[in-house]
Amino acid sequence: MLDLSFLPSGRGGAVTDLPDDQDDAQTFAMDAAAFSHPSFVLPSVADPVAWMKHQMSDAAENRIKMAKGTTTLAFKFKDGIIVAVDSRATGGTYIASQSVKKIIEINPYLLGTMAGGAADCSYWERELGRRCRVYELRNKERISVAAASKLLSNMVYAYKGMGLSMGTMVVGWDKTGPALFYVDSDGQRLKGDLFSVGSGSTFAYGVLDSGYHCNLSIEEAIDLGRRSIYHATFRDAASGGSVLIYHVRQDGWQVISRTDVTELHYQYAEEPRPSLL
Amino acid sequence: MQMYEEQKSSCPVKVPVECRFSPYTDNGGTTLAIAGDDFCVIAGDTRQSEGYSINSRYAPKVYQLSNGSVLATGGMYADGVTLVKMIEQRLEWYRHAHDKQMSSGALAQMLSTILYHKRMFPYYVWNTLGGLDEDGKGAVYSYDPVGSYEKQKWNCSGSAGHLIQPFLDNQIGFTHQKEKAPLTLERVVQVTKDAFTSATERDIYTGDNLEMFLVTQNGIEKTRVELKKD
Amino acid sequence: MEPATRTQNPVVTGTSVLGIKYKDGIMLAADTLASYGSLARFRDVERLIKVGNTTIIGASGDISDFQYITHLLEKILIKESNTEDGHQLYARHIHEYLGRLMYGRRSKHNPLWNSMVVGGIRDGEGGTFLGFVDLQGTTYEAPTIATGYGAYIAQPILRKAVEGREDTLTEEEAEKVLEDCMRVLFYRDARSINKIQIAKVNASGISISDPRFLDTEWAFAEGIRGYGATD
Repeated sequence: MLDLSFLPSGRGGAVTDLPDDQDDAQTFAMDAAAFSHPSFVLPSVADPVAWMKHQMSDAAENRIKMAKGTTTLAFKFKDGIIVAVDSRATGGTYIASQSVKKIIEINPYLLGTMAGGAADCSYWERELGRRCRVYELRNKERISVAAASKLLSNMVYAYKGMGLSMGTMVVGWDKTGPALFYVDSDGQRLKGDLFSVGSGSTFAYGVLDSGYHCNLSIEEAIDLGRRSIYHATFRDAASGGSVLIYHVRQDGWQVISRTDVTELHYQYAEEPRPSLL
Repeated sequence: MQMYEEQKSSCPVKVPVECRFSPYTDNGGTTLAIAGDDFCVIAGDTRQSEGYSINSRYAPKVYQLSNGSVLATGGMYADGVTLVKMIEQRLEWYRHAHDKQMSSGALAQMLSTILYHKRMFPYYVWNTLGGLDEDGKGAVYSYDPVGSYEKQKWNCSGSAGHLIQPFLDNQIGFTHQKEKAPLTLERVVQVTKDAFTSATERDIYTGDNLEMFLVTQNGIEKTRVELKKD
Repeated sequence: MEPATRTQNPVVTGTSVLGIKYKDGIMLAADTLASYGSLARFRDVERLIKVGNTTIIGASGDISDFQYITHLLEKILIKESNTEDGHQLYARHIHEYLGRLMYGRRSKHNPLWNSMVVGGIRDGEGGTFLGFVDLQGTTYEAPTIATGYGAYIAQPILRKAVEGREDTLTEEEAEKVLEDCMRVLFYRDARSINKIQIAKVNASGISISDPRFLDTEWAFAEGIRGYGATD
């Protein structure tokens, strides 16, 4: 065997002929693997995480900036779960949209809410929907909310530290009854009866906690959810638009209402106010 | 909820501190799309800029796609060109696989996933997709650089997006108004021209030419209007 | 994947390249200096090249990267001619290729550090072509193009002379405005030299002039006030 180890190799070595690098190759090397989900193009730098962080920082020449702002809530009560959200999307101080659907219909029995990166939420909850469907086909029964939320949590946990931003509630009705989970992009997953997520969540909690009770009627529960979001949009500049409400029951979710907050503002202003004493 | 911020044009001057390579640049430009009952208008200016320089007075960034939809791109021109090539390739594969054109709704979702697959190294592009849906109704979809999208009736994005969008809300959507004028193709074209001539006066990255695509069931008509070149 | 960032710096560099459309075709101009930082290292490097029989390219930026690009283009031209299918690469095709090449490399964070002007016959149908490509893959066509400091100093002069007159500007007028621009650049661009080349593509084919010296006039410098000059 001829010993060729003396020959320079790779980019580091001397160039005997010009490097046969990928400049001759196709720009888009597409194959079947390109269709498998999920696969992401990574920047070919030593530390993609640090690179992405830089691109999103003030120092970057062309900043890819993310802004925060939303109010979402969901709570369990005797007749199921109420999910209520605002509809504002902001980019810095600019209101990019007043009509965003922040309740994502994963399937007829599962809902997800949207807070954090809009694309992150819609992409991963769509992917969750696909996996839930595969689960149904394999097991001939619907996935539990606990399992679904854990699928989501595990998916995003794999990308922890890479800049995903997602604060969501996975809501549904399975054979254990109504179920509500909080899942975020840090990998946190919590089971609970009541959550509110987003920059306006503190305001929503204030109203929600003061009126919440397990034995609320459906009408009272819907009204509480709506009021909570409304008051959040009133005090949080990053929340607004209209209030969208869903009700989750044994036979799946139902759209309840979509109301412009301006309408609610005048409606609530008409109501008699309780004495401060 | 977060959305990628609209392009900032506050400080485009590059200070020659050091030669660190940035793969991104902002070539400016404004795009607009309005959906009517049975038509859709997609428009964009044709100026390409970099910093305070005008590269070209005619570098179109609104593309007629092979399935009959029209895609308006803004932001980094090279990323936009690449994205359009990518989309055209996928549209062709779809035709070979299914022996039909991809619908505008399917294309809208596909564009979202194409963008998200570069979530960790995004296309620096603000997209607006316009066309007719399966029922022949006008459809407009707008995107952020990583694929968050929404179906809308009208949208304006890019460097003068924040100047024109409220104007469209008022003149196309008639928000907070009692009287609403009917949305004819003629009116939409006039509003589009007015929006761009005015934006040209206030945004340094918008100007030179306005290119409009009028999509109806009879096909797509491309028109060009001159804008101020200063 | 290699772990290191391959983000390099330009080392030996060329300054502005100018390109315009005129009545009979395309004209490009560049000087012959290859700088090593602020050192005028090589004074006779030709930065305008022929690519086939219908295209000329002018490059600013890293000279070694441009030599590599030249090599790639030679390879492609040989491959294309060996095919013998009657197909020919025109300026539009070369420009498209360079655009994809530069974008591909920027996407790998390993750019080829150049800005290039591509001029020539558009395609098999005829017509003229004048385009630009840079290290980020940005591409455009325009009747006047200037890279580097030329974008600030020469471009306004070129636009005034050419815009709207692409079909009437004579070869003499075109050559004069390019020479004037190269002279102004020599006066103000510290990385330039008074030795230039002019390349033409017209009905009679491609020609790249031998390097020649610019006539310069420095008497006016005495009259300049401001810019740090003291009276």
